[in-house]
Amino acid sequence: MEWFESVWRHIDAAFIEKDRWRIYLNGLGVTMQVAIFAAVLGIVIGTLIAFMKLSARDNGKPTVLSRIANIYIDIIRGTPSVLQLLIMWFVVLKSCHNGILVASITFGINSGAYVAEIVRAGILAVDKGQTEAGRSLGLNQVQTMRYIVLPQAFKNILPPLGNEFIVLIKETAIVGYVSLSDLTRVSNQMTSTLFDAFTPLIGAALIYFVIIKILTILLGMLERRLRRSDNH
Amino acid sequence: MIIIKELHKKFGGNHVLRGVNYHIHPGEKIVVVGPSGSGKSTFLRCLNLLERPTGGEIWFDGQNITAPKADINEIRRHMGMVFQHFNLFNNLTILQNITLAPVKLKLMGEEEAKESAMKLLQRVGLSEKADAYPASLSGGQKQRIAIVRSLAMNPKVMLFDEPTSALDPEMVGEVLEVMKELAESGMTMVVVTHEMGFAREVGTKVVFMDEGNIMEENDPREFFNNPKCPRLQEFLSKVL
Repeated sequence: MEWFESVWRHIDAAFIEKDRWRIYLNGLGVTMQVAIFAAVLGIVIGTLIAFMKLSARDNGKPTVLSRIANIYIDIIRGTPSVLQLLIMWFVVLKSCHNGILVASITFGINSGAYVAEIVRAGILAVDKGQTEAGRSLGLNQVQTMRYIVLPQAFKNILPPLGNEFIVLIKETAIVGYVSLSDLTRVSNQMTSTLFDAFTPLIGAALIYFVIIKILTILLGMLERRLRRSDNH
Repeated sequence: MIIIKELHKKFGGNHVLRGVNYHIHPGEKIVVVGPSGSGKSTFLRCLNLLERPTGGEIWFDGQNITAPKADINEIRRHMGMVFQHFNLFNNLTILQNITLAPVKLKLMGEEEAKESAMKLLQRVGLSEKADAYPASLSGGQKQRIAIVRSLAMNPKVMLFDEPTSALDPEMVGEVLEVMKELAESGMTMVVVTHEMGFAREVGTKVVFMDEGNIMEENDPREFFNNPKCPRLQEFLSKVL
């Protein structure tokens, strides 16, 4: 009984007293804003980079576009995202004081490199015969892509893309480095306010977990929907 | 109808076609046979430029289709192609598979394309599959649909790249039957196949390819009964 009371006192202090839950909620808001903006930007950049990279496919020789895409992917994957964030905040976008915007752009550019590989792999996984059949009927390359290859590639792309979004949500936990009050940072600050590390940190972890669990379920539903044409 | 002049194709250092010359006339049914690696599939795929020749010319209806400025998409509309692995569009229903190209290329309206697709499906006895997806069909059914899909474009010539090689034996017959009917309707056909019975029965000319060139060409009776080149004699002794 006493143990329960003690636990409850901690929970009360960490989340309910003085409406502290609002602080976590605001933190979660920052986390989700950055993650969603970055995901949208990442998909746009990633798709563009994927097609730039694919421009080299037919003859095997690299093109100017595919070279640029490769350099971009190399740089992004070859450096830690914390450093990318610090460089953007203190150097490249120094004059921009909107932390959420800077973080969104940074993570969007970062995620774009990974999305590019996901999109490219998804397109390449569609059997070459599908393209050949389309072209042999007189459809041009764009029509074949649009009506035949991309709808099939989308099914390949969706699961790893969902995974990428999940990684992105958790990766935003480093925005505290540029003084953004996201979920991780506010719960970390709360530990020193309360002299209790356990409750706020476990609480924040639970919030991340629930958000991602919900997302996983939604993605699973969407995936099953898309697979319908495979089985009847 | 199709004139092939000194056709060469290299894949890197691999010289697959070594100066093929041939002339295909309207209404002919050319059957191409030969050992694997002889270049017969590459030859067929060059005819509609799925493979870009590295040398020589191909003329189709008086037009040099290997010229850099030739509109290959326009030319391909008139050349149907049937693949070994069917290549039906997996994301579309059977009906959509057939109507996609005629509708998107604005050759027919949606309704007109559907009507003509249903007629074609009836012709091969698969009209009840119109709304099914390719994944639910047998190999033989898929290949009959693939033939119909090409026919929906009203091509002047049909190219077949080993159309029965990926089929279970009991399904070969139904596909050959459709091809025979097509031949009887007067369609110009070029068929790469291992079905010697089909070559004998349907072909107006049989062509033997080996080492990237045409080694012998004759009408089916002479071709099978009286082969001249030793490589062909050896080949026939193995396959017949």
